[in-house]
Amino acid sequence: MLISLNWIKDYVDLSGIEVDELVKRFGLSTAEVEGVEYKGKELENIVVAEILTVENHPNSDHLHILTVDDGSGAPVQVVCGAPNVRVGLKTYFARVGGNVNGLKIKPAKLAGVDSYGMCCGGNELGIESDTSGIVELDASLPVGKDIKEILPVDDVLIEVDNKSLTNRPDLWGHYGIAREFATIFKRELKPIEREDLTQYASLAPLDIKVETDKCYRYCGLTVDNVKAKVSTPLMKLRLNYCGMRDINLLADMTNYLMLEMGQPMHAFDNSVVKGITVIEADKNLDMETLEHEVHTIESGAVVICDDHREPVAIAGVKGGLKSGISEDTTSLLLESACFDCVAIRKTSRKIGLITDASLRYEKSLDPEMCATAIERLIYLLRQVDKDIKVTSSLTDVYKYHYPKHIIDIDTDFLSRRGGVNLSLAEVKDTLVRLGFEVSVLDEEKESLRVAVPSYRGTKDISIKEDLVEEIFRMYGYDNIKSKPMSMPLQPVDQIPTHTVEYEIKYALASQFDLNEVHSYIWNYVEYNKSVGIEEQSVLHLLDSSKSGQGGLRSHLAPTIIKFVDDNKNKYPDLGIFEIGRVVDNIDENNLAVEKKKLAIVLASEKDSEKTLYFRLKEIVEYIARHIMHISVDYSLTNQNKLYHPVNSCEITAGDLVLGEMGVLHPAIAKNIDKRKTFAVLELDVNKMLEVKKNVFRLTPTSKFQSVSVDFNFVADKNMPYGEIEKALSDFKASYILEHSLKDIYKNDEVLKDKISYTINFVITPKDKTLESSDIEKFSTRLIKSMETIGLTLRA
Amino acid sequence: MQDKINEILDYTKAKLEEIDSTAECQALRVDVLGKSGKITALFRFMKEVPPAEKGKVGQMLNNGKIEAERLISAKETFLEQAELEKEINSAEKIDITLPIKGCKGSLHPRTIIQKQIEDVFVSMGFVVEDGNEVETEYNNFIAVNVPENHPARDMQDTFWLNNGQVLKTHTSAAQNRILKKYTPPIRAVFPGRCFRNEDVDASHENTFFQLEGVIVDKDVSVGNLIYFMKEMLSKIFKKEVEVRLRPGFFPFTEPSFEMDVRCPFCDGKGCPTCKNGGWIELCPCGMIHPNVLRHGGIDPEQYSGCAFGLGLDRMVMLSLGIHDIRELNSGNLKLLSQFKLDI
Repeated sequence: MLISLNWIKDYVDLSGIEVDELVKRFGLSTAEVEGVEYKGKELENIVVAEILTVENHPNSDHLHILTVDDGSGAPVQVVCGAPNVRVGLKTYFARVGGNVNGLKIKPAKLAGVDSYGMCCGGNELGIESDTSGIVELDASLPVGKDIKEILPVDDVLIEVDNKSLTNRPDLWGHYGIAREFATIFKRELKPIEREDLTQYASLAPLDIKVETDKCYRYCGLTVDNVKAKVSTPLMKLRLNYCGMRDINLLADMTNYLMLEMGQPMHAFDNSVVKGITVIEADKNLDMETLEHEVHTIESGAVVICDDHREPVAIAGVKGGLKSGISEDTTSLLLESACFDCVAIRKTSRKIGLITDASLRYEKSLDPEMCATAIERLIYLLRQVDKDIKVTSSLTDVYKYHYPKHIIDIDTDFLSRRGGVNLSLAEVKDTLVRLGFEVSVLDEEKESLRVAVPSYRGTKDISIKEDLVEEIFRMYGYDNIKSKPMSMPLQPVDQIPTHTVEYEIKYALASQFDLNEVHSYIWNYVEYNKSVGIEEQSVLHLLDSSKSGQGGLRSHLAPTIIKFVDDNKNKYPDLGIFEIGRVVDNIDENNLAVEKKKLAIVLASEKDSEKTLYFRLKEIVEYIARHIMHISVDYSLTNQNKLYHPVNSCEITAGDLVLGEMGVLHPAIAKNIDKRKTFAVLELDVNKMLEVKKNVFRLTPTSKFQSVSVDFNFVADKNMPYGEIEKALSDFKASYILEHSLKDIYKNDEVLKDKISYTINFVITPKDKTLESSDIEKFSTRLIKSMETIGLTLRA
Repeated sequence: MQDKINEILDYTKAKLEEIDSTAECQALRVDVLGKSGKITALFRFMKEVPPAEKGKVGQMLNNGKIEAERLISAKETFLEQAELEKEINSAEKIDITLPIKGCKGSLHPRTIIQKQIEDVFVSMGFVVEDGNEVETEYNNFIAVNVPENHPARDMQDTFWLNNGQVLKTHTSAAQNRILKKYTPPIRAVFPGRCFRNEDVDASHENTFFQLEGVIVDKDVSVGNLIYFMKEMLSKIFKKEVEVRLRPGFFPFTEPSFEMDVRCPFCDGKGCPTCKNGGWIELCPCGMIHPNVLRHGGIDPEQYSGCAFGLGLDRMVMLSLGIHDIRELNSGNLKLLSQFKLDI
């Protein structure tokens, strides 16, 4: 929103304060300033001039050759293209050496004729919106008079960030902003001049019916005998400076009032609209707006209708065409109303029409302002056209009053929350300047009873903490001293689910040379389909227009596969991982069951699938042992169709399934890259934390000599080595027994469907020297034990 | 006898002249000084020596033995040295300047910055909490005082799910759970991924990371907040920073502030990062709204608190020079793999 400092100065004297200081303090106390523009800087050497002669240009059908009297003594020749040139017209003339908003005026030849200056249009000067010709000035203005002596074109515009005014409906007009400046700089705020409308109380009221709770207040007044058509130059200037266009007197008046007080108003042609009914539309309605656009108002929207229940305006958004004021309007019905902020926002968003009015109504405007706004408008109108005639009493349907907020507060509370001690007088002064009514409850306790003004009470201020903000933002947050805090010394238990995350990531990057990525929480549906990954979603986005994806992922690995695919042509070998969330179920309360997963995908052009698969196992073992301090098993069944049906497994611990891994299903792999091998892992990070941690037990060392013996066992090819390993771990002996797999021998000719394992045993006696008979006994027992799981000793 | 000894010593010297390996030295030592060596043999004549001369002859023999040993050892040492040099000179010259494999792994830039920031908080006694990404309407909105008709709740802004839950729109969604979990004094930060139903461009993402923190205790004040933020940000930027508060508006805090930090990249002199303003808007914060405390089971009459949010993605982009936020979720390894562990 653009704020004119000249306009502000109508209400508060800011003399002696530099603009930089004004802007800085406003930014620190009230709202964010996005920019400052110095208007009039580029309007130089522009004076009133009278056209003395007008001749047609010999080489052009629209240019004229003029001589003008610019007060410098001699007539000046100038070529002008405006259609409204005529002898005797006074206009703004930019002399040679002048500046019209960046256009430097120099002697020029236009279509072959010398021209020494420029007659200016209102829009060229930026003082009005008219583009049809040069400015037509009052004949009484003396030639040679500088524009700056006629119109306050020198101004400072402060652009305030609209977003930072979201909670401040009172700041959507200049008067509210003036109140802030008056408080910040402790200056007096002047009242707004208005016409007293009680004098018309005896006139007949208007027929105004409000049939919806979403219209909080509707004030109407009719005015007749409006003759003036054109706004004052000052009003046009201010509208244009603040980013609006000037249109005609009545439209300008309502806009000016909105920019001044923040109250949107609407003027109906009273010859068309005789009475008002405010309804909530019960069916879809079409209405043509002032801009000749037809909008469909959806059922439920608040609509202003005339006495025939014909829609004449979309409440709080836009007026209709046929009821609107025109050049011929002399009689008008003024609307100053207040609506439910949500209703206006919803309607405005639905029909895609965000207007200056709807933006303000969305912020919860103060209904108290409705009547005063009409008083102000009549005052302004009478300044321009003293013969206007008010033809009705101020008709006021006031359906909803906001509660009046009364807050008790004391300086102790304020100093505890702010960390600064303030005096009662200081607090009181600030609040009073901001418009709060303040009475002292208890001098000794320094407590106050504070009544919130209506323009702050619609949503912004209702509790003590809100007053803390008011007082300290005016005190200046930059005046609050940094204050150390003390807290009891106590140990902090960090959250394992969080701490292991970084440990895993760090290990994967440092120990296994993997690269971390981040992806989105939804499935890449199109991608999955294109490579043959079947992925279901348990939960869906209701509006996926901006994400482009409908369902939340229930597995993480497919995402990482996509990222590997995206990068496959850049790297012959790569390994990517992510720790991210998936939702693979909903619980009995219909709430998402969210899991934190680790997914890794390895791809290689030189390594075999077996190598990649085993690398994943190394990673799992590393994470399990070194980070989680647990032991895991591998169960050789995996139903997930993402994986190779034979070469994949589940990672388990007791009854818990912690994750799955394996070679990527060949049907998917060939769709990605035929030259590469792929292995995939997905692990439930938090579930690993549920597994019982390993317990350390010391094995006593022995002073007796160890004996090392190798055994060659022959097993069925399909028997996983893990079963042998388990049997060996379970084998009880009175010695300290260590074993390790030394060699694997496969030979289809010799061993057929068998496989031979060379297992080395280191046998250490605890209390005596080993005899050869001991070894023999041990061998016999071991072989017998291994036979129970189907192993035989190889000859 | 001396002649015999000299003869042996001469023999030893002659032999040593011919020898060029330590193994031959060892053989010569056996030949001369071994059990049946030449000098050892002379000792057998001792019993034939008259007692008066035994001392003298014994001395003579011993000297001879020592001299023989000295001669052999000297040659042996010389040869050992020569052999060692030969081994050294014939060794393969290893070019250690050749590159190694490994050290290729990388962390996501968010992980790196998040850890740095978390470490600062941990050092100040904070617990780092872990929140959900799919949240209830209660946690995401109601508990943090976002009123029913607030625009943020609209479909255009929030990803609503078909079970009535939302993808959390801010880390504040974790506040309620944390306030309920701990009893004051509370010091907690909670990083997390947030989601907004937004169109994506170079500076807007629908999926982004924030890091939020709360401090709750008796009489936590705005002055405390300023102190804390200044200390924390100085630590993060590794230099003394200046901060300032401006009014802000968020439903979960009252009063609410925007916190600016004097641009740490140019020390406030003006640079592209601070758009020549000397300050960068970094951290929305405020005093926790009493309704939020109440929802968290904490009595706002007894306790107060402050909360602050750090746009983690913004910190990442500022610190690491990433200009397009979309890169963070892209899986583009050419960019991401640059963030190795040595940075």
